[in-house]
Amino acid sequence: MSDELDEIQAIFFEECTEGLTTAEQGLSAMQAGDVSAETIAGVFRAVHSIKGGAGAFGHADLTAFAHKFENVLDEVRAGKIVPTPGVIKVMLSSFDVLSDHVETAKGLAPRPNDAAALAALEKVLADKGVAEDGGAAAPAAPAPAPAPVVEAAAAPAEDEFGFTPVAFSLDDFDAPSEPTASAASWTIRFKPSRAALANAGEPLLIIRELETLGATIESVDVSDVPGLRDLDPENAYFTWTLSMPGDVPENDITDCFDFVAPDSVIEVTRNEVEAPAPAPAPIPVPVIEATPAPEGAPEIDLIPFVPVTATIEDLTAQVQQVVADLAATPMTPTPAPAVPTESAAPKPASEASQTIRVDLSKLDLLLNLVGELVIRNSILADRLSPADRQRVELPELARLTRQIQDNVMSLRAQPIKQAFSRVPRMLRDLSVETGKQIELETTGETTEVDKGVIEKIGDPLTHMIRNAADHGLESTEERIAAGKSPAGTIKLSAEQKGARIFVRVQDNGRGINRERVKAKAIEKGIISADAVLSNEEIDQLICAPGFSTAEKISNISGRGVGMDVVRSNVEALGGRVEIHSVPGEGTTFTMILPLTLAILDGMIVRLANQRFVLPLAHVLETVQPEEGQVKRTSPDSEVIDMRGEYVPVKRATEIFGLNDDRPVEDSLVVIVESEHGKVGLVVDTIDDRREVVIKSLDQNLHPIRGLGGATILGDGSIALILDIEALVASTNRYTPKGLAA
Amino acid sequence: MTTKTETASDCKIVTFTLGKQTFGIDMGALIEIREWDEPTPLPNVPTFIKGVSNLRGNVIPVVGLAERLGWEPSVLHARSCILVVNISGKQAGFLVDEVNDIVGITRSEIQPAPEVETIESSVISGLVRISTRAKDGTRDENGTMVLLLDLEALSLTKHLDMAA
Repeated sequence: MSDELDEIQAIFFEECTEGLTTAEQGLSAMQAGDVSAETIAGVFRAVHSIKGGAGAFGHADLTAFAHKFENVLDEVRAGKIVPTPGVIKVMLSSFDVLSDHVETAKGLAPRPNDAAALAALEKVLADKGVAEDGGAAAPAAPAPAPAPVVEAAAAPAEDEFGFTPVAFSLDDFDAPSEPTASAASWTIRFKPSRAALANAGEPLLIIRELETLGATIESVDVSDVPGLRDLDPENAYFTWTLSMPGDVPENDITDCFDFVAPDSVIEVTRNEVEAPAPAPAPIPVPVIEATPAPEGAPEIDLIPFVPVTATIEDLTAQVQQVVADLAATPMTPTPAPAVPTESAAPKPASEASQTIRVDLSKLDLLLNLVGELVIRNSILADRLSPADRQRVELPELARLTRQIQDNVMSLRAQPIKQAFSRVPRMLRDLSVETGKQIELETTGETTEVDKGVIEKIGDPLTHMIRNAADHGLESTEERIAAGKSPAGTIKLSAEQKGARIFVRVQDNGRGINRERVKAKAIEKGIISADAVLSNEEIDQLICAPGFSTAEKISNISGRGVGMDVVRSNVEALGGRVEIHSVPGEGTTFTMILPLTLAILDGMIVRLANQRFVLPLAHVLETVQPEEGQVKRTSPDSEVIDMRGEYVPVKRATEIFGLNDDRPVEDSLVVIVESEHGKVGLVVDTIDDRREVVIKSLDQNLHPIRGLGGATILGDGSIALILDIEALVASTNRYTPKGLAA
Repeated sequence: MTTKTETASDCKIVTFTLGKQTFGIDMGALIEIREWDEPTPLPNVPTFIKGVSNLRGNVIPVVGLAERLGWEPSVLHARSCILVVNISGKQAGFLVDEVNDIVGITRSEIQPAPEVETIESSVISGLVRISTRAKDGTRDENGTMVLLLDLEALSLTKHLDMAA
């Protein structure tokens, strides 16, 4: 039981995370000036869902806070509070507290102090809430509730199912059998707007929810239903009038309409006297003949063809009959706009952006299997005779396999937004802690990256942002003194270049103080006092283990682990960190990451009769050098003349210590591009071009410098994958490391 | 064929020869025995790493066990084979001269290995005497001494990390 509950709770937390992301995006959009109803409703829905789940799992604090937050959002949504920048700011800080509450609920953090945020929300409610019932209702019923609940709910929350008390009592569920019993009942008039249907505001569900509370349908006004020719299946034409027992709190009623678009007609009025047949009952024009089986839905198309014969009384009776039938057969799929049996069903689904949660390990397994499939496909191709290979079936199979592979890969690809989403919050906190004004600019958040990469760049990204905010940006006074804008800017961007993803954190702060960095590195014994370093090398020292220039250890960064962690994490992913700094203008940290961790488009080449895979992303062109095209510039360095451009040539066989006495004219030179520029790699021949599944060497061995892994070729033999960056870096004179270093 | 009395044995070992020595490893670590197949050589690794091989989609290193243990490198012959073993989750293939038998031993029979080599912690976890079957008609009165290998102590990857 408790295991099951844990599992469900885990799902809830996952949803919380998603909800928070949605809410944050919405709030950020609002901050940027988008205060459209949709955006506000999106935030509202997210917070509302969190509240609902939290209530079910007995997270009283979270529920209480979310409820208050929701109240404000509700008012904003209803247009009763104007989302001024001030209000949005309160909402943003409330969002932060809400996130903290979620962490608390997960047991990851102590209970946040939400008093200030609650007070701010309360103030917003009090100041802007107009005298309308909604404004009064919100504080009336729920507001006093959360406060005591915070302390008191701990006990009730421990009941078997972990439910917290919600505003209505279970007694309400006993009431509905006697709809007319109580004296001052409610009359609810509900006319869903067009937007309501478009937003999955399925009226049937709402009416059922109302019925659960004890409501009964008094009448349905179908007078707005147009002739068939004019009938828009996506529009709503019915108006329901329901009565509700008086002992149901108004808030519960309005809660039912939470997700209904704001322009729907929703009127909740209290009747002093029972009024069984309310106003809109009589119907002037359209008629429903007393046809057999008044099922509602199929009947509508008859309307335009039926002569207007019946009296109003008859019609009223018939409508009531229809209503009764509707109520009696709640499974009828189309209570309101009749015809759209087809469009109604997909509508809500697509609105909810159909998703399915899949365990990542299942995706990984699928990916592995597809990898094997690709290999088997190649084996098959290799085994067949050339004539058979040309037949339609095989290319078709290859194409399908590739498509499956692409799709499986795309399943794992996620927009990098997921990793970026926590940055705004972090910067708000940092801004408070450091007293600096920080503006964030984000670009390229839709860049899709493998899920595994996204998961692993979170920490490095955090450190980079903290570093930029703490060390990179100057204080406001310093900035003004330097003639800069008082607010510092951090630009966060992601872009895809070939098979690599570039994630940049750029600040317009003071830049790296190279003198100080160098002095510090000498002091810490990272470099020797007489070391001669280029600017780039000094910048790289920031990433050295144990390096920190912060004068005092701040809460934010400066423990001397941050940038070190960044570099090691990124390198573990097969990426690198680059630092570019201009004194007085700012610093840019770039994480260069592989797009995927599993499959590679490769060129199969031969070196000393052994096969290797060259990642195709790096390959620019291949040339067969003519005599004299490759020239020695020193006993152990060569260049190739590429149309007047001299490109250094590297003999891969030398790098790997393979025997090779083949003259360069009998070889091919593959020009590859890397971060360090172009290099020509001498290879014997090129065998093939194919996608290969990367098998890491460290799974059973350990990483070998110069190799990106291994792969299994079509004949079952192994080819090693060349790591171009490492190979080229070994030619780079700044890092004269041997391969075996 | 053999008249092993299984009553006393509480663990099974696989015995194999490297040169003139007989070695044994815990049966539980054995994944499979394969024919020798030339592995794909790796650059910049110690010479005892013969390369990598494809074991049903897994890329595993093939180790010249004799060289790793400091003996003369094995000379390939018809009965050369690869013992594929699992060393704390990592798989590796050992080139051995011949795989002999699977025998049951009792832990109490195992004698500690004398501390002779000092360069690295001993990879020989113990010695055990087993009675060998008579293959070629000659009878073995004293049985054979088997050197039990401590696979963990081979620290294949650690060793490689340092070498790399």
